[in-house]
Amino acid sequence: MSPQPATAGSARQTVFIVDDDPAICEGLCNLLESVGLSAERFGSAEEFIAQWHDQPGCLMLDARLPGMTGVEFQEKLSQSGIRIPIIFMTAHGDVPMVRKVMKAGAVEFLTKPFEKEEMLAAIHHAFQIDGSYRSGQRQLDSLQSRLNMLTPREREVMELVTAGLLNKQIAAQLNLSEITVKLHRRHLLEKMQAESLADLVKMAEKIRTSRIE
Amino acid sequence: MAPTLIERLSEWIIEHCVKPCAVAGFFVLVAFLWTLYFQHAIAYPFPFLFLGAVMGSAWFGGILSGFLAIGMSTVLIDYFLVPPLYSMAVAQKSQTFVAAFIVCAIAIALVSSAQRRSEKAIRDARDQLENRVHERTAELRRSNQELEESGRRLRMWADAIPQPMWSAQAHGSLDYCNQHLIDSIPCPMEGALDDALACVLHPVDERLFREAWRAALAAEKKFEVEARVLGADGEYRWFLIRSIPQHSADGRLMRWFGIHIDIEQQYRERQGLIEAHDELSRSARTLSMGEMAASIAHELNQPLTAVVTHAYACREWLSMQPANLEKAAATADKIVQESTRAGSVVSRVRALFRTEAPVRLPTDLNRLIVDLVHLQHDEAARRNVAINLLLADDLPAVELDPIQVQQVLLNLINNGMDAMTNTGNPSELTIRSQKHGQNEVRVTVEDSGAGLAAPARIFEPFFTTKPHGMGMGLAICRSIVESHDGRIWATPRDSGGAAFHFTLRVHA
Repeated sequence: MSPQPATAGSARQTVFIVDDDPAICEGLCNLLESVGLSAERFGSAEEFIAQWHDQPGCLMLDARLPGMTGVEFQEKLSQSGIRIPIIFMTAHGDVPMVRKVMKAGAVEFLTKPFEKEEMLAAIHHAFQIDGSYRSGQRQLDSLQSRLNMLTPREREVMELVTAGLLNKQIAAQLNLSEITVKLHRRHLLEKMQAESLADLVKMAEKIRTSRIE
Repeated sequence: MAPTLIERLSEWIIEHCVKPCAVAGFFVLVAFLWTLYFQHAIAYPFPFLFLGAVMGSAWFGGILSGFLAIGMSTVLIDYFLVPPLYSMAVAQKSQTFVAAFIVCAIAIALVSSAQRRSEKAIRDARDQLENRVHERTAELRRSNQELEESGRRLRMWADAIPQPMWSAQAHGSLDYCNQHLIDSIPCPMEGALDDALACVLHPVDERLFREAWRAALAAEKKFEVEARVLGADGEYRWFLIRSIPQHSADGRLMRWFGIHIDIEQQYRERQGLIEAHDELSRSARTLSMGEMAASIAHELNQPLTAVVTHAYACREWLSMQPANLEKAAATADKIVQESTRAGSVVSRVRALFRTEAPVRLPTDLNRLIVDLVHLQHDEAARRNVAINLLLADDLPAVELDPIQVQQVLLNLINNGMDAMTNTGNPSELTIRSQKHGQNEVRVTVEDSGAGLAAPARIFEPFFTTKPHGMGMGLAICRSIVESHDGRIWATPRDSGGAAFHFTLRVHA
C-alpha cells in the first residue's frame, strides 16, 4: 500500500525529513524513493524553515534535534505560520513527551527503528490530513476572491440576506427600494457563483468560521 | 615544761656522782662486812669479795662506780686487812699483794663495765627494734583498714553506676561484676568472660566476640566489640563491650576491666544514616547507569534504524518489475556501511569499560575474604545473617586483581544475603576456599535462601530476579572471573539455597 498524492492536479506531495543523522535521512529517502514517493532531507530545523515555500506533504521530524527539542520545533513552526502534519521519530519515546507532541497536533509517533508499513501508513495519514486541509484552504481562497469582487453595498446586502432577513426588511434597513435590493441580490448570487440562497448561506458560514479561526 | 638548769644539774649530779657513790658504797660495805665475818675462818686477808664488789659496782653503777669501789676497797683492805693492821702503811711484803689487787680490780671494773655497756647497747637496740615493729604493725593495720574502706567505697560506686561493669583476671576469668551487670543478665556471671556472656550474646555476634576476646587476651591489648546483648526484658540491645588491660609496673598483665556501653540508640541512628546513604548511592548509580544505557541505546539505534530502512528499500528495489538492481546494490552497500558503524559503536562501548592494563598481584585469597567479611559484618548483622568461613589452610598465593575479585565476592555475598531475606530459613552464608586441581583455587559462596529459578540465565546481562535490580551484578562477576581465566557457575544446594563457585588460576 503506497500512499499516492491525495489530490490530483495539485503539486506532488513530498515527505520532508528533518534529522541530524545523515544516515537516517539517506535511508528514509532511499526507502521513500523505492516506493515512489518524493522526499526532501534537511539536517536541521533552521534549514527546513529557511527553505520552506508551502509545498504539500508532511514532515518526518527527529524528536531530538541538536539545540532544539521536537516540541520546541513544533511550536516554532506554528508561530511561523507553517501548517504541515508532523510525524515524530524517536529512539525512545517516553510517554509524557508523546502525549505532549500529540496534543500539539502531531499526526504520528514512530519509534526507531520502525517498520515500513507503519511508516507508510503514517505518511498516508499525514498526506490525507494535508490534502484535505489544502483543499479546504483552496475553497476558502476562491470564496475570498469572489467575496472581494462584491461592491460594498452588495456585501451589506449579503450579510443581511444570509442573516435571514426578507427583501422588504433589508430595503427598510438600508433605506433602499425593494427593487434595488432584489437587483443587488441577483448580482451577488452571480458573483459568488451560488446556485441558491441556501448555497450562499453555507459560503457565508465558511468564511465566518475561517475568520474566527 | 623544759627542765631548768638546776634540775638538769641535779639530775646530772645524781646520775654521775650520787648513784655511783651509793652503788660503790653499798657493794664495798657488803664485801667488807662479809670479809670481816669470814676473816676468822680464813687465815690470810680475803680480797675476793672486794673484787666481787668492784665487779658489781662497775656492772650496776658504771665505770665511775667501779673506780670508786676500787678506791674504797683499797683503803679498807689497806687499813683493816693488810698488816700493819689499822694503819694506812703497807708492809713491804704486802705491797705486791695490794698492787696485784688494784690491777685485778681495775681489769675487772673495765671488763665488767664494758660488758655492761655492750649488753645495755644490745638491749637498747632490741627495745628500739621492738618499738619500730610495733609502730609498723600499727601503721600497716591502719593502711589496711583504709584500703579496705576505699575498696568498699569503690565497689559501692561501681554498684551505683547504672552501667554493666566487670573485672577479670589476666587469663580472662571474671572476678567481679557490678550490681547492674548481675541484675541485667539472667544467667550467672562467673568463669571465663566469653563463656559467661555466651548465654546473653546474640548467636551471630557470639563467635566474633569470642575471637576478638581471645585475640585481645593473647595480645594483651585494649578490646572493643559491638554486639547485641540479651537484656532481662528478653530484648537484644546493641552494646559496645570495651575492656582495657591493667599492667603492673614491670609490665606484667594483672587484670582486665570491662564495661558495657548501651549504644542501641546510636546504632539505630547510624543504621538509619547508612541506609539513607545506601539508598542514595544506589539510586545515583542506577540513574547514571540508566543514562549511560540510554545514550548507548541511542548511539546504536541510529545506525540500526538506517540499516532497517535501507533493507526495506532494498527489498522494494528488488521486487520491482523489472528489478532495479543498480539501486538495490547501492542500497546493500549502505546497509554494510551502517552495520559497520553499529559495530564500531559496540567496540567503542567495550573500550569504554575495558581497564588499561590488567592488574595481577600475588594475593592471599583467604586474607582478602576475611577482610571483606569484616567489612560486611555490620550489614550481615543488620540482616541477621551469620557468615561462616571454611578456608583451606594450604591455599597458595593467587595472582589476581584484588579490587576486582573483591567486587565479585561482594556481589556474591550481597546476592546471598538478598536471597535469604524473607525466606524464613535461618540465614547462613558460608564462604569456602579450597584448591581446585593443580593450578587453580576455588571459592564458593553458599546461601540458605530461596534457591535459583533459572541457573542457566543468571549470568546474562540485564537478567534479574530483584524488584529493583539492574541485572548487571552477576554479568560483571562473570566478566571479571573470565578475565582472570577463571570460571563462575552456580549450583542448587540439597538443603535449599544456592551455591556460587568461581575458580581462579594461581599463576595469571
